[in-house]
Amino acid sequence: MSRLADHFRRGGAFVWLSGTVLAFCLAMILALVGYIAAKGLGTFWPSPLVQVQTPDGPVLGELTGHEPAHGEEPAKLQFRVGNRDLFGQDFRWVTATGLGAPDRPKDALLIERLEYGPFIGRVASLSREGQPVATGPAALTEALRQLPATQRLRASIRATEKGQVGELNRKLEALRISRKKVEAKGDAAGLAALDAKVANLQADYDALQTSLEASRAALGAWTLGLETADGQTKELPLGSVVRVVPANALGRLDKAGVYLARLWEFLADDPRESNTEGGIFPAIFGTVMMVLVMSVLVVPLGVITALYLREYARQGWAVRAVRVAVNNLAGVPSIVFGVFGLGFFVYSLGGTIDQLFFSDALPTPTYGTGGILWASLTLSLLTVPVVVVATEEALGAVPRSQREASLAMGATKWQTLWNVVLPSATPGILTGLILAIARGAGEVAPLMLTGVVKLAPSMPLDSTFPFFHLDRKFMHLGFHIYDVGFQSPNSEAAKPMVFMASFLLLLVVVLLNLFALNLRRKLRERLGGSTF
Amino acid sequence: MPSLPSHQTRAQRMDRFMAFTISGGGILIIGAVLAMLLFILKEALPLFAPATVKRAGTVQAAPSGGAWLDESGKAVVLASRTGGLSALRLPAGTALPVPSEGPALPWRALLPPDTRGETLVIGVDGRLSVARLAWSKPAGENDPAQWTLEPHWQGGIPLKAFPEAVLHFRLLGGGGLDGGQTLRVVARFPEGLAWLETPLDATSAPAWTPIPLEADLHPTAAAWSADGQNLFVGTREGRLLDLDPASGAVNASATFGETVESIGFALGQSSLLVGGAQGRIAAYQRVRVQEAFQLQAFHRFASLPGPVLGFQASLRDKRFLAWTPTQAVVDHLTTERRLLSVALDGRGHAALAPKGDLILQAGEASGALNLWSLDAPHPEVSFGLLWGKTHYEGYEKPEYVWQSTGGTDDFESKFSLVPLVFGTLKGTLYAMLFAFPLAVLGALYTSQFASPRLRNTIKPTVEIMAALPSVVLGFLAGLVMAPLLERMAVEVLVFPFAVLLLALVAAPLWGRLPLPFRNAFGTGREVLWMVPVLLLGVGLAYLAGPLLEKTLMGGSYRTWLQSALGVTYDQRNSLVVGFAMGFAVIPIIFTISEDALSSVPRSLTSASLACGASPWQTAWRVVLPTASPGIFSATMVGLGRAIGETMIVLMATGNTPVMDWSPFNGMRTLSANIAVEIPEAPLHGTLYRVLFLAAFLLFIFTFILNTVAELVRQRLRRRYESV
Repeated sequence: MSRLADHFRRGGAFVWLSGTVLAFCLAMILALVGYIAAKGLGTFWPSPLVQVQTPDGPVLGELTGHEPAHGEEPAKLQFRVGNRDLFGQDFRWVTATGLGAPDRPKDALLIERLEYGPFIGRVASLSREGQPVATGPAALTEALRQLPATQRLRASIRATEKGQVGELNRKLEALRISRKKVEAKGDAAGLAALDAKVANLQADYDALQTSLEASRAALGAWTLGLETADGQTKELPLGSVVRVVPANALGRLDKAGVYLARLWEFLADDPRESNTEGGIFPAIFGTVMMVLVMSVLVVPLGVITALYLREYARQGWAVRAVRVAVNNLAGVPSIVFGVFGLGFFVYSLGGTIDQLFFSDALPTPTYGTGGILWASLTLSLLTVPVVVVATEEALGAVPRSQREASLAMGATKWQTLWNVVLPSATPGILTGLILAIARGAGEVAPLMLTGVVKLAPSMPLDSTFPFFHLDRKFMHLGFHIYDVGFQSPNSEAAKPMVFMASFLLLLVVVLLNLFALNLRRKLRERLGGSTF
Repeated sequence: MPSLPSHQTRAQRMDRFMAFTISGGGILIIGAVLAMLLFILKEALPLFAPATVKRAGTVQAAPSGGAWLDESGKAVVLASRTGGLSALRLPAGTALPVPSEGPALPWRALLPPDTRGETLVIGVDGRLSVARLAWSKPAGENDPAQWTLEPHWQGGIPLKAFPEAVLHFRLLGGGGLDGGQTLRVVARFPEGLAWLETPLDATSAPAWTPIPLEADLHPTAAAWSADGQNLFVGTREGRLLDLDPASGAVNASATFGETVESIGFALGQSSLLVGGAQGRIAAYQRVRVQEAFQLQAFHRFASLPGPVLGFQASLRDKRFLAWTPTQAVVDHLTTERRLLSVALDGRGHAALAPKGDLILQAGEASGALNLWSLDAPHPEVSFGLLWGKTHYEGYEKPEYVWQSTGGTDDFESKFSLVPLVFGTLKGTLYAMLFAFPLAVLGALYTSQFASPRLRNTIKPTVEIMAALPSVVLGFLAGLVMAPLLERMAVEVLVFPFAVLLLALVAAPLWGRLPLPFRNAFGTGREVLWMVPVLLLGVGLAYLAGPLLEKTLMGGSYRTWLQSALGVTYDQRNSLVVGFAMGFAVIPIIFTISEDALSSVPRSLTSASLACGASPWQTAWRVVLPTASPGIFSATMVGLGRAIGETMIVLMATGNTPVMDWSPFNGMRTLSANIAVEIPEAPLHGTLYRVLFLAAFLLFIFTFILNTVAELVRQRLRRRYESV
């Protein structure tokens, strides 16, 4: 007994306890990252379509979850049955007992389409302009043959709508604003000229619309006759089909092909179905662009501040206090920065800019509302302390001998800084920048107030002058996660997308951090801790 | 002295220029960053600015019995028994045209118009009419000369008996210009109070029904409730009654304390304003207290000199005008703030513009109109309202409530910051409860017992943990952990105990293993061997959970919680938030604590071990106390992070501003509140400024925490340099 007490007192058990606690922390991290990775990466792999016979009829779908028996409730299985337009909801829970043997019919299909989520069922027939062309398996083969052409047509309609029609609309809008100005001046001749231009553009617009109408009609020529597992039928125009996945008839290689196709669509396409399907390319683009603008702003700000604090300011308690203050700014909640960005940048600065330069467009605000410029400015304020700290470390790590040698050769202070110190410090500054980017890419709260939207009508960078539209709102990966997960009408169906987006964000942030930490470690080894 | 070569002068000039630019730029940037705080403060301070009152002129007019100000403050309609309606332009005082139709002059009785322009008149022919005054303004026309006054006279009901004074009327039903409405009027006769009810388009004279009161009560003032079913009566004896007019049954009564002089309503018609003959002003409401309706005095205002002659309520917010012969005041109902207090020169009638920004007083004798303008943009906020309990309309007692907007125009905004601060503290507490032991014990192990190679793996892993975006954590917390916890709450709560038990069992078992094995795989790597223990713990919890639930809780923990502890279980609750926020905070506390623990001088640990202490005893009794300032500093920084965390709270709680410590329901924190409400807050409105105030508080608090932590850390570093 005393041996046990002694053992206890020596505390071997407590070492184990603290080790357990640490193991728990590490396990949590790994579990979290692993869970997101597994759920995210597994999103696009085509799962088999299982058909079971329930007391209410046959149910065909992907097996997405199961609940073991709990108390009096029996075990349940969750099926993703799709067909939101026919069934009302995507998912269905089915009691696990009393089902017939599960079947994997070879002709079961999952059809991804533009509206109402995926269709799960079978192809019954294919018709062209109302005339049936094929039925049964032949219909599927013929449809698959016609699908690439249809998809190309749809893509070209989309491109025309976004490109040429959008361009005409913008020109008409600009003419409308200048017309207001000319009207106010009372210039009759100018007014007539403008009206002529408007009429020209309107004629172009109408011509374009007619050709688009023809294309759209052509898109609707082919129609698929579909049938669900419980016998309901649906007519689906081939133009609405994004992808046909005969999940049970695919081999390993084909499934990998579908996986890669879906992954590519995720990374490169626009979202559809209120952000719950399709791709997140605008969000990725918006995040990247915002981070770029933020870096352009934060590097000069941070480097100048660090240079001032370390090289030019008289070292005393005041500078120490300022340094502490700037460092502590890193701990201030990001929402406070967001509030400042909203109040000062958006309303005050933006409102003033609108009054001075964009008064014709008022009351519609141009810069007086959130946009990528204000969001990037807010985030650069948020991340300046990170860059300042990293730059100061880097400047301090440059050996005094090098500085003194340069000064001894007759160089001025600025020449020393520019030619000797800053080049040596560049890797450290880079580390700071990377950490700032990692922090900025992950912050969402300040962006919510200064310019991020659920669905941006156009991107901040496009082919119309002035190319860089700093007043436009944009989409952001982090906000996308929040919005799709918590503010979409069908968050259960959208969860796989959110997992994938989380995984992407996680990957980017973790890789950036690993890179920065590695860089910092190598720098410390090389320069030997002079200030650490 | 020989002149310098040109490239050197250029270099010197460049040097001076860059020195100037960098110094200037550095100071500017630092100033801008610190000016952030000042900007936020500047946006929040107008909340506490006192109201500005300015004299807006005097206009000569004939004596009148009532006035109605237009919203724009450019015109006033005067009503007098002898002259009927007249209109004046303000501030010039020139007359405006007034339609001549209306009850026959001189009027027998006139009820002064209220802020909405509703008034009741008994003409010389004995017919009772009601009017709703309104100006018809052609689109965008600002010149009152172009407006037309439309009194919308309705009624013309013949009366059989004429009262001493008409006290109050209410129009019920219908709800349009086209009649179908019923009129209820209460009036004072020499014998007592009487009331009548008549449809507006009646042609035959309605009868006055006397209202039976207790013999010793003499009614002085009366007003209908908002739905017209109850009558509030004030008596000379200082009693306030809520009675049913038909039967005279008293539903509730209250003691006012002095003779009731006048009764009015604040915006919303649910708060009763009562003025006394000696100047006392109080607000009453009908509340349900323990199954019975009570007439409760829920606001008291500073007394006025003299009898309170009347009340006028603003149509924009809860401020109201009250006046006596010698003073007029504008008070706000919710905060009990006095916004305006001006001296008057005699008995008369006063009016308040619908927006509450213009006050007019018409002297009874002279007829001179005195005008004051009032600028009080945020009357519904005061320091007491933000931080103390306030008694709101419809509530039984004073409470801390945050409810910034509601569905109707007469909504009373409730801006108490206390539930939000409470929510912040609650979330932080649960996060720290979870994170602090885990982080400190983990840091202790990493710095004292782990092998160097393991340490070099653990530290970067934890730093990666610090980099996880809180959006991702919040998403997992809200959409994965919350449902999981709901399904397996008992298993999850059993898990730590299961692991503890297994850990304490595994330790002596490990000691039994052969020494060569332990030396090769064990020292410094115990953490890896704990992974199977953890998995075993998970399994044990998974098995034990349902068993415990069935035996101790009768099958479902939710019903057990409800019946045994009286708490409801929300899916998104503080446990989930604590876990997720703890996850975000652990790496911060870990990194700083680990730094502090590692920088304890080797000499101390060596000395302790040399004296025969075991590694654990050294760690617990020597290293930990020595590094405690560093751990304190780490906790401060972690606290700062937890206080300001927005996204996790947004996604993992129900965002309900509840004020209890139960871990099974949600909370609303300052930061999440700002994020949710500020996009919709009207620019420079009260909510906007209150949210800026909240941001200011967050800023100051986290700044102070971080500064304290930094100073402690610096002192610690200096202390170790000397050891």
